[in-house]
Amino acid sequence: MSESATPTLTAAASAVDAFKIYGKGDSEVRALDGVTVTFDVGRFTAIMGPSGSGKSTLMHCLAGLDSLTSGTVRIGDTDISELSDKALTRLRREQVGFIFQAYNLIPTLTALENIRLPLDLGGESGDQAWIDQVVDAVNLRDRLDHRPSELSGGQQQRVAVARALASRPRIIFADEPTGNLDSRTGTEILKFMRRAVSEFGQTIVMVTHDAVAASYADRVVFLADGRIVDEMTEPTADRVLDRMKSLGN
Amino acid sequence: MSTPVPRLTLRGVLARKWRIFLTVLAVVSGVAFVSGAFVLTDSVKRAINELFATLSGEVDLEVRSTVAFGDAARAERDPVPFELIDSIAAVPGVDKVEVNILRAATVITSDGEPLRTTGPSFGIAWEGPDGLDGRTLVKGDIARGPGEITLDQSSARRAGYEIGDTVTIVGPTGKGEFELVGLNGTGSTSNGGGAAIIAFEPQTANEFLGAENRADSLYIALSDGASREDVQQAVQSAIDAKYEVITGEQSAKETAGAINDVIDIFGNVLLGFAAVSLFVSAFLIFNTFAIIVSQRLRELALLRAVGASTRQIRSMIVGESLIVSVLATVLGIFAGMGVAVGIVALFNATGAAFPSASLIVSTRTILASLFVGVGVTVAAAIIPAIRAGRIPPVAAMRPELGFTALQKNKRLVVGSVVTALGVAFFGTGVFIQPGNVVSTLLLAALGAVFIFLGVSSLSTTVAAPASRVISRTLPLPFFPMTRSIPGRLGSRNAQRTPRRTASTASALMIGLALVSTVAVVAESVRQTFRDQIEGSVTADFFISNGPQNFQGLPAAFAERLQQLPELGAVSPFRATVALVNGDEKQLGAVRGSAFKDLVDIELQTGSVDSLDAGMILLHEDPARDYGVGVGDSLDITWQNGTKQTLEVGGVYADSSIAGNWLIGLDTLAAVSTAQPVDFFIGAKIAEGVTIDDARVAVEKIAEDFPSAEVQNQAEFQQSQEDQFNQLLIVIYGLLIISIAIAVLGIANTMALSVFERTREFGLLRAVGMSKKMLKRSIRWEAVIVAVFGAVLGIVVGVPLGAAVTFALPESFVTTIVVPYSTIVTVLIAAIVVGVVAAIGPARRAAKLDVLEAISST
Ligand SMILES: Nc1ncnc2c1ncn2[C@@H]1O[C@H](COP(=O)(O)OP(=O)(O)OP(=O)(O)O)[C@@H](O)[C@H]1O
Ligand SMILES: [Mg+2]
Repeated sequence: MSESATPTLTAAASAVDAFKIYGKGDSEVRALDGVTVTFDVGRFTAIMGPSGSGKSTLMHCLAGLDSLTSGTVRIGDTDISELSDKALTRLRREQVGFIFQAYNLIPTLTALENIRLPLDLGGESGDQAWIDQVVDAVNLRDRLDHRPSELSGGQQQRVAVARALASRPRIIFADEPTGNLDSRTGTEILKFMRRAVSEFGQTIVMVTHDAVAASYADRVVFLADGRIVDEMTEPTADRVLDRMKSLGN
Repeated sequence: MSTPVPRLTLRGVLARKWRIFLTVLAVVSGVAFVSGAFVLTDSVKRAINELFATLSGEVDLEVRSTVAFGDAARAERDPVPFELIDSIAAVPGVDKVEVNILRAATVITSDGEPLRTTGPSFGIAWEGPDGLDGRTLVKGDIARGPGEITLDQSSARRAGYEIGDTVTIVGPTGKGEFELVGLNGTGSTSNGGGAAIIAFEPQTANEFLGAENRADSLYIALSDGASREDVQQAVQSAIDAKYEVITGEQSAKETAGAINDVIDIFGNVLLGFAAVSLFVSAFLIFNTFAIIVSQRLRELALLRAVGASTRQIRSMIVGESLIVSVLATVLGIFAGMGVAVGIVALFNATGAAFPSASLIVSTRTILASLFVGVGVTVAAAIIPAIRAGRIPPVAAMRPELGFTALQKNKRLVVGSVVTALGVAFFGTGVFIQPGNVVSTLLLAALGAVFIFLGVSSLSTTVAAPASRVISRTLPLPFFPMTRSIPGRLGSRNAQRTPRRTASTASALMIGLALVSTVAVVAESVRQTFRDQIEGSVTADFFISNGPQNFQGLPAAFAERLQQLPELGAVSPFRATVALVNGDEKQLGAVRGSAFKDLVDIELQTGSVDSLDAGMILLHEDPARDYGVGVGDSLDITWQNGTKQTLEVGGVYADSSIAGNWLIGLDTLAAVSTAQPVDFFIGAKIAEGVTIDDARVAVEKIAEDFPSAEVQNQAEFQQSQEDQFNQLLIVIYGLLIISIAIAVLGIANTMALSVFERTREFGLLRAVGMSKKMLKRSIRWEAVIVAVFGAVLGIVVGVPLGAAVTFALPESFVTTIVVPYSTIVTVLIAAIVVGVVAAIGPARRAAKLDVLEAISST
């Protein structure tokens, strides 16, 4: 299905002319107002912007959890706007990983079962060596048989990261993954996500409000009022903070 | 409304209207049964009373033979000879005397088959609408000559006859052909409540029905202005004291009363099942409120935090249940009217014609419905309400502090004590049987209720491990993915809230436990019956008047069989009642010389032949009770008042066919002037004759008695079992309603759980679980809960059934059979129940919008 007009061959995901419009007439809200963006393979991208700027919406549309009003979203070479619910489910299971802000885990499953969830759902055994590596990397070896209720918030979030990595998805989307954590635990998670990109070549897109968190990324995309207003590579916390301040004005 | 509680209560109900809906439905079904039973019995009884009042029409007085004992309407009375007519007609004030003759007779349909009726089928003497009998002529003319009849409208239609057709009738004297000259009606019905009525001109009736110038009773109409009391006395003094003169109203009341008794029994059976449904509903209601309370934990804690008192919280929850119950009761009363109409329609469809009745909803019906509907609902909501009141305000911030559940060992103690009490009650009821039947049944029922409650409480402690075991051991072929994620999730979710799983399963347990109990008793009785037929019946043929017809065969049949050279021993089996040493007993009458070759009654002492010499035989149990043996004598009072002393000619051990008392045919004939009726005839083939030849000969005679059914041993056994199976089907059918309520209960719990797990499902869908898998996990959970309920049901029901079987008299059952096939059926049914109950909730879960689900809290 590959088309010659795709923006780049190395894109893990992309959006072209993405519009997401809620409501009609006076109450119309343009959550995405013509977004065109590409996420390269093996890069860690942060999406930032004021509250209500459309970050979550963009991420949900990219991940196949929500559909656009108009425009195209691709995961790899696949135009997902044409996929059935069944195919989308499969795509999420095999090509996409998720880390949410909280409540990431199924309470009735153990840590290991949660990590293996996307693999088990697909009936795949997965790469055991890789899973071992991930488990060790997030330092969860001795907690694998515990239920989420027996884990701390930070541990739960580490399980969520491990789950996102376990099936080696094409791309991982994280919506404020450290939003609910104290700064020390948050840093731990961010460092680990950074490692996943640098060492394992994982592609990650992360929505965040936190300039420090964004500084772990390779690139920051700024959204305001449903549009991409700026981009920054090799971000530092100070530069991001400055840029955010100007956006807030 | 200065206080916020009523407002909050109302909002609470409205906000949860769909969850409340299923609860309402459960209560409605229970209440509908209660109100349906009352509406049905009230309405039909009144219609029957009116019908018989119309039927007795212009009968002012009736003359009939007296009986020494027994129920006035059902007693077998000696006939009244026609000679009395003249002496009665001569009494001043008597205007008219009519004969009342009513005998079993069968219509042969245009297809040549005997017409099947749900009620009796009989021939009567009828002078037409101008006479005293209140029947009406609907169409055509009345029978005026020997070759004419009228039929009731419904029977004529069902038999395929129109006016002018020739109809074959089989009566006590044999077959006859008549021209159908008209159609008769009875009150508002098209027939007489399921009966077939063949009306003859009186003299024809006398001859064809074999009355031999003797009527069942005589109808009297008074001349204008005559005093009924005076004439009643005058008639009485004109005739022998063995006849009595009663008013037409009394006669109508007695007949209607006998039918009303049957309707009351029917109504009580319905009420029994209503009780079962309501009990099951109570579990559903309890569950719903318990879950709703736990889901509103934060809200309730917040209310507590802002100053609501424990009492206010409790009254809020109880108030919600009150709203639900009143709504459900009102709907239930209407549904009950529907139930009544439905049952009448069902009976009418099978051929019985109830008199068309206007529905009567009495105050008692409404009060009883309100009492059970509101009572059960509020009672079931009380524990959740108490629990809600205990929620500490801090739970608004820290939900995990919400409930302090009953501790495990405390629950074990409570559950065990309640179960033990139940076992004690049940055991006392079944084995000791204090008082009468009612107190025995009540005690056993109370015991069962306690056992169910106790086991339900105990089951909470085993719900989690049991769910695990079930999910592992349930036959894998059904669900090859038990170890898959949907399987794992379903199983874990069933273990997640043991209390919920246990009480949901308990609702199903009740219905299935009752099914298991009935199955054990039924299987045991059936096996015993089979053993008895094989062991004690040596007859080659049984001839009876069809499986539906309880009217028996005319004695002429047996007499003709007697003549057949192909047959050896032939004996009819007749029945009568008499006082034996003052106690009312059922006696069987047979020909001893033949009977001994037909049935092995395991004679202990004496001889069966002694029956033919006028002696009496009895079973060893009454022999022991009365302290009599061979050579002793018993005082017998027959129903017509004749007293006699009979010598005991033998004592036997097997009462399965013979009953407890046997007399000879001649003994019966000597005291009874009523036409003899044979309930069945047993026959053995003569030596050297093949069974096929004998059958041909018997069938040839049976041609003159078209309603007779000739059966060999295997067929006889089969027909008895068929009857038995029909009864079972009715019982199971009624229990299915309680099982249906349990299915509602499982569906409800699952729906509430789905609601609770919205976020979780969203997450699962986000990380790649397909709708199909999600549905499968919910289905699997429901199946585990249902199978758990079934296992509990079997564990409780089988021992209960064994206990009942053990307590039954030996003439009924001698072996206890565990019905493995029923157990397997119940387990399979449970799987189906689970799958069905999960349909709605699974669909809802699959429909959840992933994004919305993830962002819900
Ligand atoms: N279902 C919806 N219906 C109507 N408007 C919506 C809906 N979902 C989102 N919006 C609107 O779309 C806009 C973008 O929302 P989005 O959740 O993407 O913002 P965000 O950048 O993630 O904000 P935050 O940082 O607060 O999470 C907002 O103005 C929001 O009000
Ligand atoms: Mg957001």
